[in-house]
Amino acid sequence: MKTLFFIVNKSLQGNVCGQEFLDMALMAAAFDQKVVLLFEGEGVNALVKNQCPDSMELKNIVPVLNALPIYDINDVLVEEESMDVWGLVEEEFEISVNALSRKAIKEQLNLADHVFSF
Amino acid sequence: MKISIQINASPYQYQAADTAWHFIQAAIAKGHEVYRVFFYHDGVYNAHRDSRPPGDERDIVKRWSSLQLEHDVGLVVCVSSAQRRGLLEQSVALKVGGYEQALANGFRIAGLGLLMEAVIESDRHITFGA
Repeated sequence: MKTLFFIVNKSLQGNVCGQEFLDMALMAAAFDQKVVLLFEGEGVNALVKNQCPDSMELKNIVPVLNALPIYDINDVLVEEESMDVWGLVEEEFEISVNALSRKAIKEQLNLADHVFSF
Repeated sequence: MKISIQINASPYQYQAADTAWHFIQAAIAKGHEVYRVFFYHDGVYNAHRDSRPPGDERDIVKRWSSLQLEHDVGLVVCVSSAQRRGLLEQSVALKVGGYEQALANGFRIAGLGLLMEAVIESDRHITFGA
């Protein structure tokens, strides 16, 4: 089993690749790999509650976020510094996350076999 | 070393497909094995059979077809990315009344499972294009 890091560092709206990117993470989990999702930079906004991408005829990722435990994806990391930049606190997020400092995340990244971003 | 490649960007607009191709040539020349090239997102346009660049330019699509022919490198196009962009596998095209000859020689259409298998099997998986 490999450890695969998937880094969401862009908003999921404005860059439609996000949807196909998450498909990749789910597929990795379906192949019994250890999947870690990391939200940083602008990407932290993807977790915010009460988004209505339906109004732009884009898919809402909330069902995917809520389904992560079903796929055995239990490591959802968020970079604290990015949360500060965007003025967000954990209570504003759709799912429970593990907020870590940039330094702590870097240590975890060193353990990854592969790192993906989009 | 066993290497797999992922290409996420369209040819001619970004350099990703060029860089990847040169990287693969160098890797093969050094004796490495290129296990698979997976085309995702706009990268699927690398497989467009009817691409016709001006005669004095590199032909990116033909280059991939030759790579497959000469070195037996698997060229796999993501099915959902491709269908969104109108590149249909022959059997699907027949069913829905689409264009049946969309894919250039050497490419085949498959799911993300083949990407994951490549990631798991390879020592290195390298992505080109944002």
